[in-house]
Amino acid sequence: MPTRSTPSHRMLVRLLVAAQLLYVLGVAGAGYATTAYGQHIVLATSPVDLHSLQYESFVRLRYTIAEAPLTAWRGPTPPQRRQGVYVLLTTNADSLATVAGVYDAAPRPAPGQAVLRGWVTDVYNHSLGLRYNLERYYVPGDSPLRLGKTSPPVRVRVSIAPWGQARIESVRMFKPTASR
Amino acid sequence: MSRKFLETESPAWVTEGLITAEQQQRLLARYPPEAVQAVGLLPLLGSILLLLSALSVVAANWQSLPTQVRLGLLLGSLVATYAGGEYFLRRGNRRVGHGLVGLGLVVFGVSIILTSQLYQLVGYDVSGLLAWVVVGILLSYLYESQALVLLPIVIGAAVQTYCTQALGTFSYATMGLVALGSGYRWWRRPDTIVASVLATGLLWQAALWVALSHAKITWFFIPAMLVYAAGDWHPQRPASRALQGPPLIAAYLFALGLALFGETDQYAGLLRPPVLAYLGALAAVFGLSVAGKRQRGRLASLPDWLLLLPGFYLPGGLPLAIATLVVLYAHAGSVLARAHRSGEAEQLTLGTVLFVVATMVAYFKLTWAFLDKSLFFLIGGVLLLGLSWYLRRRNAQRLAAGVATVAVGPATPPTPDKTPTA
Repeated sequence: MPTRSTPSHRMLVRLLVAAQLLYVLGVAGAGYATTAYGQHIVLATSPVDLHSLQYESFVRLRYTIAEAPLTAWRGPTPPQRRQGVYVLLTTNADSLATVAGVYDAAPRPAPGQAVLRGWVTDVYNHSLGLRYNLERYYVPGDSPLRLGKTSPPVRVRVSIAPWGQARIESVRMFKPTASR
Repeated sequence: MSRKFLETESPAWVTEGLITAEQQQRLLARYPPEAVQAVGLLPLLGSILLLLSALSVVAANWQSLPTQVRLGLLLGSLVATYAGGEYFLRRGNRRVGHGLVGLGLVVFGVSIILTSQLYQLVGYDVSGLLAWVVVGILLSYLYESQALVLLPIVIGAAVQTYCTQALGTFSYATMGLVALGSGYRWWRRPDTIVASVLATGLLWQAALWVALSHAKITWFFIPAMLVYAAGDWHPQRPASRALQGPPLIAAYLFALGLALFGETDQYAGLLRPPVLAYLGALAAVFGLSVAGKRQRGRLASLPDWLLLLPGFYLPGGLPLAIATLVVLYAHAGSVLARAHRSGEAEQLTLGTVLFVVATMVAYFKLTWAFLDKSLFFLIGGVLLLGLSWYLRRRNAQRLAAGVATVAVGPATPPTPDKTPTA
């Protein structure tokens, strides 16, 4: 129950504040650990609209894997909007990930495959709209995207931690001439 | 009594001989002018402006700051707000102290969100934000402040909203933490505002659960009435009624909706959960509520449960509409009867309003289709005027009887000026 400002009370408050500091540091640590221990995949996007950078600090990324054919659905019941799903990705020879299947329970990835979690946004007649919560990219101040005038397609490097977090590691402008 | 009122009125009191000039001076001295406090606000305003300026500088350059600096800023402001809160509390300035501690809690949540944004990190469950709720509840136990009890309830509702909308899952942990953590805090230190906010927050989470699980919306009333039943067990009457307010309002609106739209079988079909499971759960909650009412000697409020009668299992159409209307009338009547027995003016007003609403719904429902429109409005107007006259008279009699029993004297017929009329 609430106590007055006694030494033990002050001690508890200090402990609680220290726990909060550690927690925020832990979130930051999870960021580094995801890069260090995670599986790395590269995702392609459609051209990025840079106009939004004039008023906001982020751009919206539209991944090519945000749409999957309905035939990729592997589940006992038809997919529903806002359902959480596991997307099995195949990392191709050019290292761009493509959808191998959309599951409602965690699948076991074979070598050369990765699992990214997402949500169903829309169910169309022949395809599924997917969302990965990685769509908002907060553009750092020194990013070349800030100087860009056109709408370039970009390559997004994502790392997926074994414990189920994911982060955008880097975003690079895609130059069609560069061989990968 | 305000100082201004005293200053303008007291000379007349002296001239009329109500008080002496000396008593007037003593009264004035008892309520000193508050000019000093207004001056005391200036440093507060000044520091808020300075804080805003710092905040806008940081916000404008946030993306260009190095990661470590951003993290350091977040952690620094976290520590600074808590330290400031403790400093002011130790100096005895409770309001500023608790305000800063509350701000520290908000900064903690913002830090979690901004740090994961800093690393473009995505989590797939709500565990990251759960810590925010946990810390909020712990703080509410550490400090004796109403605002710090309200904060985790609001945060819990916000986290649950985010969880169901963005992540597509329901966080039972958040619901449990708020219900048990904040609930126990309220139970030990009852407070009517906390009770209303707590009940509303829990009802909000229950509604999110129903929406997410695509369950029949009537399932909402199982958790809602659990909140109500918890109120029955609480020893303190006002706090218990405040906790029961939101569930009762929800149940009443639902019954009203059933009376208005229930006759289309399509709508009633949306409401029918599996009979045995729903009625079993409802009966269990009902038993809990009755046991609490009996324990605390409040069986008079049992007719509240009339609103929960599962009339929607009746075939849709006129029978359902009429059954619901009967229930609404019975409920309004029970509120009126209880008010007459206890003599509470507010309950009397509430009962009257409920009665008038039930009458209007009944009239519109049952006669719109049959009567010529001019006749419809004519009869409706006459009906409401008659009803208002009758209820006004009853109120007057009731209050006169109350006056007569209190003071033996000429019972002047009081004219209640605030009788609700439609």
